[in-house]
Amino acid sequence: MKIYSPTGNIGEPQKSLASPASVLNGKAIGILDNTKPNANILLQRLALRLHERTGVNIGITETKNAALAAPDQVLGRLTKEVQIALTGSAD
Amino acid sequence: MNLDNLEIFDFPTDNPAELQSLFAEHGWGDGLPMIAPTPERVQKMLALSDGEDPDEIIATLPPRSGLATRRIIAINAVMAGCAPSQLPVLVTAIRALNAPEINLRGVNATTHSVAPLLIIHGNIIKEAGYNSGLGSFGPGNRANATTGRALRLILLHVAGATPGTGDASTQGSPAKYAYCVAENLDDSPWGGYASSEGVHDESAITIHCGEGPHNVHDMESSDPAKILDKVASAMCSWGQNNAPISQGEYFVALCPEHASVCASHGWTRNDVSSYLFNKATVNVGDAREAFELRAWAPWQHSLKDSDRISMTEKPENIKVFVTGGPGKHSSVIPSWGMTKSVTVPVMP
Repeated sequence: MKIYSPTGNIGEPQKSLASPASVLNGKAIGILDNTKPNANILLQRLALRLHERTGVNIGITETKNAALAAPDQVLGRLTKEVQIALTGSAD
Repeated sequence: MNLDNLEIFDFPTDNPAELQSLFAEHGWGDGLPMIAPTPERVQKMLALSDGEDPDEIIATLPPRSGLATRRIIAINAVMAGCAPSQLPVLVTAIRALNAPEINLRGVNATTHSVAPLLIIHGNIIKEAGYNSGLGSFGPGNRANATTGRALRLILLHVAGATPGTGDASTQGSPAKYAYCVAENLDDSPWGGYASSEGVHDESAITIHCGEGPHNVHDMESSDPAKILDKVASAMCSWGQNNAPISQGEYFVALCPEHASVCASHGWTRNDVSSYLFNKATVNVGDAREAFELRAWAPWQHSLKDSDRISMTEKPENIKVFVTGGPGKHSSVIPSWGMTKSVTVPVMP
């Protein structure tokens, strides 16, 4: 019995993650806080640990609404100021 | 753009029970039995769309970035059990879901129980057999049930809103099976809802991404204020996303008898919204106590703890329509929050 697949085609290729930085020392790390409860604490402490262990510099912190994509201005500031960004905390 | 390069499987059986197992093995479906989408059945589903390109991209649906063409929509409509007369509604609904203000990526991916509610307006209700009267939210009517179900199948199959990978909803929702209702225009004292939103076409649909209906029971009041005070109380629970997100809309589905009481006192649809805006309020200090994170309008942050704050930031966010049959039960459908409803004409 011949039947169609109900899933259809995909419009754009899936995004892949950037390659991890092999050396953090000398780079700047930023925070994109998605404002989920305690995300700011989690991300700031993670940044601090990375600073203590690797010498990475702690750069700017930006915030975004968890339910919406980050505005272009926010992404632009992060791109300009830091080489690595920590982001994401779920419920 | 021709995209008729859809995958076709050759299943070794046409036994309905065995087909269900094969569907499940492919990860298809909502858990209920489905009709096999053979090319012949899909062609029949598309028959009333003669003249429209079956492979035109109607929408690109996140998070999977799946391309929803008329043919793909028809395939899922067959699986859900739709009749061909429902296809224009479904195509319009999928087009509407692509509107940026719907924020479909968030709607599909959130831990909240949100589901797109599809509201049908105008002539298509009778033409395609939708139920706007007794039991309009279901069950028991093929058009309501299968259109709602087909929309969900498209979200599962095409958008990739699969629980666990594309849908993080903590508890899910019965509204995620089928959530489609028709407006009872015959018993609406205020004319059609779509016209009130500036859409004057013969047939239209609205998409509102929200929770399941919250019941409002008033058997005794002949005073609109007493009925609407109960509606307001249903709008004020702290558990709704509207509580911390001030841009969130409410859909108030009044039954004909409650609507009639309001209209008989000279209240318009907008009067109902204005009254509810003023009555569905909470204490600002209590709101601050309940929610550390509040997506409020800037001016709302300046309110004092002793002030009152409405559960939504403006009366226009309270949308009123009439549905259902005899009896005195209405319902409130809160929003997911970070989404806005869309009302558009039905277009094949």
